[in-house]
Amino acid sequence: MLVVPLEMMTTGEQGRIHALDGSPAFVVRLQEMGLREGVPVQMVRAGSPCILSVNDQRLSLRFEDSTTVLVELLKCTR
Amino acid sequence: MPAAVPAVSTRSLTVAVIGNPNTGKSTIFTALTGMHSLIGNYPGVTVEKKIGNFRHQQQDVRLVDLPGTYSLSPRSLDEMVSVEVLLGRQAEVGRIDAVICIADASNLERNLYLVSQVLDLGLPTVLILNMWDVAQSRGITIDVEKLSQTLGIPVIPCEAHRHRQIDAVKDAVLSVAGKAGVESPRVFPAVFYEEGKQLGSQLQEWGEPDVPFYVTERLLLDVGGQIESSFAARFSTRLTEALAAARERLKASGFRVPAAEAKARYAWSRQVLTGIMVVPQQQQVTSSDHLDRWLTHKVFGLAAFVLIMFVVFQSISTLAAPVMQLCEAGQQIVGDWVSSLMSPGPFRSLLVDGVIGGVGGILVFLPQICFLFFFIALLEDCGYMARAAFLMDKLMTKVGLSGKSFVPLMSSFACAIPGIMATRTIENRRDRMVTILVAPLMSCSARFPVYTLMIAAFFPDMAWAGGWITLRGVLIFVMTFFGAFVAIPVAWLLKKTMFRGETPPFVMELPSYKWPSVHIVLLRVYESARAFVIRAGTLIFATSILIWAASYFPGDHTELNRLQEQVDETKVSLNTEISEKAELEKQKSKLSEKGSAPELAAIEQKLAAVESKLEPLEALITTKNAMSEHLLETSYLGRFGKTIEPAVKPLGWDWRIGVGVLASFPAREVIVSTLGTIYSLGGDVDEADSGLQNALRESKWPDNRPVYSIPVAISIMVFFALCAQCVSTLMVIRRETNSWGWPLFTFTYMTVLAYIGAFLAYRLFAFLL
Repeated sequence: MLVVPLEMMTTGEQGRIHALDGSPAFVVRLQEMGLREGVPVQMVRAGSPCILSVNDQRLSLRFEDSTTVLVELLKCTR
Repeated sequence: MPAAVPAVSTRSLTVAVIGNPNTGKSTIFTALTGMHSLIGNYPGVTVEKKIGNFRHQQQDVRLVDLPGTYSLSPRSLDEMVSVEVLLGRQAEVGRIDAVICIADASNLERNLYLVSQVLDLGLPTVLILNMWDVAQSRGITIDVEKLSQTLGIPVIPCEAHRHRQIDAVKDAVLSVAGKAGVESPRVFPAVFYEEGKQLGSQLQEWGEPDVPFYVTERLLLDVGGQIESSFAARFSTRLTEALAAARERLKASGFRVPAAEAKARYAWSRQVLTGIMVVPQQQQVTSSDHLDRWLTHKVFGLAAFVLIMFVVFQSISTLAAPVMQLCEAGQQIVGDWVSSLMSPGPFRSLLVDGVIGGVGGILVFLPQICFLFFFIALLEDCGYMARAAFLMDKLMTKVGLSGKSFVPLMSSFACAIPGIMATRTIENRRDRMVTILVAPLMSCSARFPVYTLMIAAFFPDMAWAGGWITLRGVLIFVMTFFGAFVAIPVAWLLKKTMFRGETPPFVMELPSYKWPSVHIVLLRVYESARAFVIRAGTLIFATSILIWAASYFPGDHTELNRLQEQVDETKVSLNTEISEKAELEKQKSKLSEKGSAPELAAIEQKLAAVESKLEPLEALITTKNAMSEHLLETSYLGRFGKTIEPAVKPLGWDWRIGVGVLASFPAREVIVSTLGTIYSLGGDVDEADSGLQNALRESKWPDNRPVYSIPVAISIMVFFALCAQCVSTLMVIRRETNSWGWPLFTFTYMTVLAYIGAFLAYRLFAFLL
């Protein structure tokens, strides 16, 4: 099992959110929008901002140093 | 299920509608209430208040639409208003009898987060599972009956865009409204509710009785949230200290604020859905993803964005042109008809020059406004706007803003007022302020009439690529994005000086693409057209009359009226010649295209003969025009205009334009109606000509040089692209920022920018051309 920051995921890779850490307001907002510990995710378009598939919905995200999202990589499609 | 007996009451029931964004909330709202909804603002704040009505089983129901939200933990003012309405604290809405909560059936687990918060309010609630068909096509199964039992509320699967199950929703609303509320699902551990109770009695001790449980819950959960700040004014540090202590105690027993809320609510949501919902495991690649492969691509996506914008503005100018010409012709006919009914005098002048020339001149632009709103609504409803925001985030971060600022700025292309209101979704204060301050630079629909008038009057109607690309279309496109282009350094500067700070993180949902709903799009067009007409009928109407009065008085018009009567009489007697001349001119222009020399010569001979017969009329008109010109120059407006002329001369303007610009302080488009009135009174608008455009082309300086040239037209357009001539926008900025300083700042910086821009544009193009 490999845990990496979300930014490290490449297009097509799948994983599961391991932990969210950083500014409380932003973390709560992410959780409300469905990005929370344990949900499976897939990187649809890597980059900043990236497009992420979370539970059949697509979220667009850009991270700053203040917030880290850690992902357990499930399958490497490269 | 046995049909519940509806609680028929004589008063109308008030029902709030709430749901996540992109769950088809507005489709359900319109399906329930039909076309007639009332849009206004909540007092003191500019969150849009949308209210509609329906009648079902002899019961009137008033439906309040709340802004789409992911949660009821108020962090922005937008969310605060929703909470206040639901708690019945909004005096204008009153007590809420029931809540309709709309959830996306294809993403129920996340949607139940908001549902659990709504249930905490303890109001009678109906849950709608919208987009039922989407969920089914993804292979998701939900046991509705069981879900309804578990939650203790009616649950109705729905496909709002096909108008299915709408009556079932109405039945369910009536079955719960006014009854006892639901029991809160108790998603948190017992210690939390204990703390909540203590806080409640503490507040009672401090003289704040009857604080709803939901408010104490939010006070505990939201560190530095909106509710805490609204209470802070009364309790100063007492409350903050009490809350900190309570959170510390909760933390000691393993309940960490704020992280614990999401955990608890999602745990509840999962528990509720166990055995009720089955979701197929693998994630599917949808057709939306295939489209996004192109539309969100670094290069192709941006190219597509530019292309879409270009096509939109090109089609606005091509599609609206014929309709506009029809409107102009109509305005002319009405003006002539009114003139023929009345004898010359101040009242006829007021109607023809003030009302028809002024207000009519602006109503001509209604088709353009409709097309603009049509395209913006189309892009929004099909889901493209979110992709545009995604694409633009990269550019926006360069000036220190985020993609979140894009949608408010994009809607400012229709009108800065909804644009500034939409900044409420930006949580970061600095970003929000910068977005508000540059939003009025986006080219709003009120600038359209100015651009169209200038471009149609002074630029030739050239076309390339088989008529698909026109010079005028390109110019409209360039002018539309000119303001946005200037906004880039302005935003950068503001972000570097007055609003320094880090670029905030950015997260946004990209809804699946869908076919836009005709109903929703047309509704948007109808609403904005109505607002435009009302504005023309009130604000612009009043300004037009003022301008007319200032340019009609104090001169003595008896001599002019006598001349006008003579002109009218001569026209009647020479009627056949006038129509003959028009017919001959038509033939001439037709022939000169094909070019047959002998035929052309014959027609010109005939034309000369008719013109010589019309000569006395022409002479009369020239005398009359000279006189009205003199009267206008000596009127109050004329004298005032002459005084300020030195200030506007560097921009290439004469006193009329100067006066027009000053008069258009309440609203940009007033310049068109003001010029309409001035030139109509000045006698420059000959009834045979096509109105204002020709009047502008023929306007002269005292030394007979034409006033308007391409550099002057560009100078006017640049001025209007950058100026802040819109009272409504400035008022909205005042309300949003809660100070007079910011609107004053906006007005000053934009006017200075506009003056310098117009000056440079005039000099540059005068030098080039």
